[in-house]
Amino acid sequence: MQTLEMNVNGSDVRLDIHPDETLAEVLRDRLGLIGTKIACGEGECGACTVLIDGVAVTSCITPAMKAHGRRVVTIEGLSGDRELHTIQQAFVDSTASQCGYCTPGFVMATKALLDANPNPSREDIMRGISGNLCRCTGYYQIVDAVALAAKRLAEEEQP
Amino acid sequence: MSDTVGAAPTRLDIVAKVKGTRKYPQDFNMDGQLWAAVVWAAHPHAIVRRIDTSAAEAVAGVVRIITARDVPVNSYGISTPDQPVLVGEGTKVRWVGDRIAIVVAQDRRTAYRARDLVRVDYEPLPVVSDVFTAMREDAPRIHENRPNNILHHIPIRKGNVEEGFAEADVIVEGEIATPFVEHAYMQPEAGIGYIDEQGRVTVIAAAQWPHDDLHQIARMLNLPEDQVREIVPAVGGAFGGREDMYIQHLLALCAFVMRRPVKMVWDREESITRTGKRHPFYFQYKVGAKRDGTLTAAQIRLISDAGAYASTSVPVLNNAASFAAGPYKYPHAHIDAYTVFTNNAVTMAMRGFGATQPPVLYETFMDQLAEKLGMDPVELRLKNLLGDGDISVTGNAMWGGVGIKETLRQAALAAGWREVAGHWVKPDLGQPSAPYKRRGIGVACAYKNVGYSFGFDDKSEAEVILRLKYDGSIASATVKTAAVDVGQGVTTALAQIAAATLGIPLSRVRVALIDTSDVPNAGSSSASRHTYITGNAVQGACKAALENRDRILREETGETVVSARYLYRGRSRRPTTPYDPVTGQCNPHISYSYGTEIALVEVDTETGETDVLKMWAAHDAGKVVNPAMYFGQVAGGVHMGVGYGLTEEFILQEGVPRTRRFSEYFIPTVLDMPKELASVAVEVEDPTGPFGAKGLGETPTLPTAAAIANAIHDATGIWLKRIPATSEVIWRAIHGKT
Repeated sequence: MQTLEMNVNGSDVRLDIHPDETLAEVLRDRLGLIGTKIACGEGECGACTVLIDGVAVTSCITPAMKAHGRRVVTIEGLSGDRELHTIQQAFVDSTASQCGYCTPGFVMATKALLDANPNPSREDIMRGISGNLCRCTGYYQIVDAVALAAKRLAEEEQP
Repeated sequence: MSDTVGAAPTRLDIVAKVKGTRKYPQDFNMDGQLWAAVVWAAHPHAIVRRIDTSAAEAVAGVVRIITARDVPVNSYGISTPDQPVLVGEGTKVRWVGDRIAIVVAQDRRTAYRARDLVRVDYEPLPVVSDVFTAMREDAPRIHENRPNNILHHIPIRKGNVEEGFAEADVIVEGEIATPFVEHAYMQPEAGIGYIDEQGRVTVIAAAQWPHDDLHQIARMLNLPEDQVREIVPAVGGAFGGREDMYIQHLLALCAFVMRRPVKMVWDREESITRTGKRHPFYFQYKVGAKRDGTLTAAQIRLISDAGAYASTSVPVLNNAASFAAGPYKYPHAHIDAYTVFTNNAVTMAMRGFGATQPPVLYETFMDQLAEKLGMDPVELRLKNLLGDGDISVTGNAMWGGVGIKETLRQAALAAGWREVAGHWVKPDLGQPSAPYKRRGIGVACAYKNVGYSFGFDDKSEAEVILRLKYDGSIASATVKTAAVDVGQGVTTALAQIAAATLGIPLSRVRVALIDTSDVPNAGSSSASRHTYITGNAVQGACKAALENRDRILREETGETVVSARYLYRGRSRRPTTPYDPVTGQCNPHISYSYGTEIALVEVDTETGETDVLKMWAAHDAGKVVNPAMYFGQVAGGVHMGVGYGLTEEFILQEGVPRTRRFSEYFIPTVLDMPKELASVAVEVEDPTGPFGAKGLGETPTLPTAAAIANAIHDATGIWLKRIPATSEVIWRAIHGKT
């Protein structure tokens, strides 16, 4: 057993874990944060995407100890005090989710993308979410959602 | 109203999905739960001589190992119960998805570690890994109780094809094949089985047809159906892959044996290698036409690989035979369709259900005819497409608003085709992006039944409960139906139909959670049927509830709640019939949806890579209930079609899967999709559908691969003999390598 200390969605947590536990397992099984989805278990599909110190990682292949001493944000922590983050609202308004199993991963990948590039072209958006797989939507409405989120976030920035 | 039928209100489930709070089967946990892992067959064809569980039982944390001896009735299967739940000593495994045992342990890691310690002695048998070997008289038999490996044969005979070929000025013939395809829904198989507070064996799992699962589980456990219960929470995609039971029966068995909650979560490798697939088809064809393009005859032989067990291979074949020659008029047709047992993966329902493979055939030979005739492919198709009242190969007159010509016209015009002096002329494609690249454009049409076919009694029951205000107006409505929202949005569509029928805002409609102990049987989320069949049931229940309200109000009873149930049966307005066993003549389908897609591609002649630059998609699903969800179905269908055409193939070698994970099985990423998708809704209403709706779930997948294949031919001159058209296949064809 090893002791993992990290900040998850603004709260400090301290857990004794097996050294081979993944971050996704710790988030889901020990902290009950079920919004992080496991779909491929090999970092191929992005459904488990969370942010560690603002960087998107596939938590299903990230050893939990990699988050030691760092800040983790999951889908549950994205909107803060609001009902929905602007990105989430854009996914709703663009009908960018069908079965929804990949959706939290796409939303988190979008957060990382827009933090790094607040004004992306359609091409930038496509490259930014190309690590996430969706079997339902064909991606068009997801790309639309990311573009809409970028536009609204820029408007929110205006004084 | 912004949320009635034809508008795009917010999907009822989407806020919870973007927040990550919607619960899928793997998200449920119960106090005192155990974890289970399956011991899978290690051989595709073998007799199990001995199962030794002692080493696994000795592992700390292992609670029990469930084997065939624990199963009251050890068989199941949606069409015919030919699959063992668990394979016992002295009996056979027939593919690698067969199960030997279930290890139950205190936690998941222990269960998975211990399952590898279950020792099974096999006596290997010869593996039958292709349909042609399987059909030989001397082939090893997969099922000992059957005379041979041919599960089913359908003949269709219309007119006299020899006469038809004699009348033809041009004839094309050849062979073409399609691959095994994985559903690849994003949510892996998972769930929990437990005994509920009333002592019922209860399963929480992702299903497409909860009441059929209920029926099968009750049979397996030798329990009355009211002692079994299935709850369907959020489903992370299905596409046909959850139509038959895959984990439901195993969870029920665990709960039945352990009398405690037992949870199971499969990993992606189990999901890909141990579950059913889309059927590969092997087609041989010969088709004739007159100089003016009029089709004279089609002769088609198709063989589908059923894998080890029947599942829905016969109903899939029924569909495939009826659609094999395409949506065209033929005076003469001769079709033989076979489905054959092998030791390959069980094949089953997958988006299109036997209507997805045929366009790869019929849209190829239509373009081959067009080329031989020197005729534009759009013009040739328009000349031969079925219209209302035209007679299909099964001898029935087409009904219900046949919009296929209009989908072709609109797609072609959108893609730049022009009509000049009575002839269709294809657009200029512009310059390729590099000198070693070539551009091409391809068109494909397709059609698909809506609802269960061939005399199968397609029915769906819905209940509507109205809460009334003092003045008799409706405060809220609750819709109860077991129509599963597998992601397609049927819950929202049915709520819209209810709201529009009741004349209330969508916000006052609630759709009950799916629990077989509470909601009536709606049939499966398949066959593009819920909008039409269950939409009719919901509409019927709403109308009946309104009538009840009006009656009780007249009597001034002061009732505040009224309800009504309504059972819709497809046969009530559109009776269908099974194939005549000799001629195949019948009235196959309740209703149809239609579509045309056009692909503009660029093929890199140095790498063989195909880039789809743009697609146009025109689909006739009747009245569109929700345009945003309509586009989502079209785009998702095109996604699956792009994968089918270019990258997706589940590969088995002597019955052993070689594609085991997403790094080996390539579903398109956003970068693999057409840069642009132009969608046109062609709303030819079916008067028997709710508000004129038909169905849409499957049709958008059907023409995509064929349109891309035809575009590749236009670019390179290559006629594909098989899909997917991977870079390697195209490169070899261009460079003359086989």
